[in-house]
Amino acid sequence: MTVGRPSTRPRRLTVVLAQWCPHCVPLSIRKGRRLAKRLGIPFRTLDIDRPGQERVADRLVREHGDASPDYLIPQAFLEWSDGRVQHLLTGFSEQVARTAQAWDDLFESEWLRSVREEGLR
Amino acid sequence: MRRRGALPPTLRAALESRGGKCYRHCDRPVRSRRFSSRLPGTWHVRACPSGIVSVTTYAEWTRRDPTRTARRAFRRWTVPPSLVRLRDLRIATRHGPELGRAAERELAATRPPRGVRVVYWRLYPFRARDGTERRLFACFRRTHPSPVFFASSPAAKTWGCPVCARRRASSVGRTLRRTSVRARRSRDRKVPLQ
Repeated sequence: MTVGRPSTRPRRLTVVLAQWCPHCVPLSIRKGRRLAKRLGIPFRTLDIDRPGQERVADRLVREHGDASPDYLIPQAFLEWSDGRVQHLLTGFSEQVARTAQAWDDLFESEWLRSVREEGLR
Repeated sequence: MRRRGALPPTLRAALESRGGKCYRHCDRPVRSRRFSSRLPGTWHVRACPSGIVSVTTYAEWTRRDPTRTARRAFRRWTVPPSLVRLRDLRIATRHGPELGRAAERELAATRPPRGVRVVYWRLYPFRARDGTERRLFACFRRTHPSPVFFASSPAAKTWGCPVCARRRASSVGRTLRRTSVRARRSRDRKVPLQ
């Protein structure tokens, strides 16, 4: 996963989710909100069971994420100031604890550290 | 030297998911079983002690989407193959930062950059025409070289692997033929004594 170009900044974090999914609610909402706070950017969720949000979510997943006929959730995306959209994470279908670990590893990652350092410059 | 697309030990370890319980069946611990095939990636079957499959994964270090290749393999191993539907196969990309430091470094050092693609196959319980519940089972008996996936009732008294059953039936047939040949020989031997 690459860090954004020096002149670009993260703009928004989006998590595609469903209310009934234990990998999504409350886990990925809580973790996503925390990640957005660390990056100093807004956080939004796109619920695949709400028609208006579903259309946006489907497009985001199809163009930038892990697209399947019945795709996995949650999927997290980072939007950059230059318009790029970066797919960050897809839930681990094995078990909720593994998805939680993935979020924790993302918080501890060198990638996040470098994104934050770029942002502070 | 590793095959292109094969996972190095660091990535294999980072992708592993230990623990967990059987979902809506027995609540007993799920065990993960790894196996390989002609494809370069790694397969994992997560199943409970009764053999009921929770999820099966195929992970390959590649830029392309391995869903269709994985589907072909699943169809070869599943009786009947029609149990493997495209809508039950879901792709996930693992980029590195969400896999821990060691995996992140390994993936970041690759040029051109490529993540690990994981195909998940999850077949939810369904009802057969007679109304009974069916779940996906995996058989790993040594009598067949690759795993066999099949749908059966969790309440069934017999194991139900169609390949094992077929082999048992054909070996019973051979035994019967052998017995009859032996019986004929002994009959033949007995004839002069009479």
